Amino acid sequence: MKGILFALLGGFFLTFQSVANATISNQIGSWQAAVMTQLTGFVLAFAIVLMIRDRSYRQLTEVSPLYASGGMLAAIVLFSNMTAVHIMGVTMTIAVFLIAQLVLALVIDSKGWFDMSQKKIGRTQIAGVLMMIAGVIILKL
Amino acid sequence: MALGILLAIIGGAFVSIQNTFNANVKMRVSVWTTTALVLLLGFAASLAAGLVFEGAGLFSFQAEPWFWFSGIVGVGVVASVTQGVQNLGPSRAISLVMVSQIFFGLMWDTLGWFGLEQVPFTWQSLFGVLLISGGVLLFQLGPVLEQKRFVRLNPDIAKANDWQ
Repeated sequence: MKGILFALLGGFFLTFQSVANATISNQIGSWQAAVMTQLTGFVLAFAIVLMIRDRSYRQLTEVSPLYASGGMLAAIVLFSNMTAVHIMGVTMTIAVFLIAQLVLALVIDSKGWFDMSQKKIGRTQIAGVLMMIAGVIILKL
Repeated sequence: MALGILLAIIGGAFVSIQNTFNANVKMRVSVWTTTALVLLLGFAASLAAGLVFEGAGLFSFQAEPWFWFSGIVGVGVVASVTQGVQNLGPSRAISLVMVSQIFFGLMWDTLGWFGLEQVPFTWQSLFGVLLISGGVLLFQLGPVLEQKRFVRLNPDIAKANDWQ
């Protein structure tokens, strides 16, 4: 029960984040909004790291620099998210984001790219993606 | 519209790559250190992109006070999703997160809060969102169900393969 509430809250925060970013970018510009939210988010996350006396950053040297620099992709993600919300609203933006995200995750898992353990693509997963695409078409019909 | 869809496809693809990279980082480093690192690099990359596209104009803006708290939401995402995954396991938690995301999206479009352009509610859009949610659940939980069925039908093979 607690897990369900947390998961629903996580979804709420994700949508809230898209909306807030789109609103802020509308008023002060997309890059300004991206810089601001990432900076304030970092300050808070860093404070949490200090508070819980988390020393696991020492193991960062064991992580491939490519994977460790993944955060930089946020610039592209944020910019496309804010612009897409301006153009077509939150529901459509989230729907297309999820489809692209899941399809690529399927490809990455099936090929075992980026050190992911290789998994076969299931029929239910293809059916799931097709159902989502049908949903988007109905949303926009 | 076409541009919006194209941008959302690009954005979603990069979310997928970023999740994969972050998963590799989290194998060695805690969730919070990973989050701090990801946000720091996101800040650096956005700052660099902003300077390239807008020069010093990047810094001339009038922010309302609440803008400065927007980053807290991102930390809320990490905290709740991590808790959800710990309680429910990744497949069930992530599918719920995604379903919740799309329903709150519909709610937000309908209400038009935060200066968002209001999109009137229609039963058709609710049906679309229900289909998308069904698709998410099938995608995330399908493999688990298929595996269970396989184990039930072929208990010996399943045991031999050391599945569970």
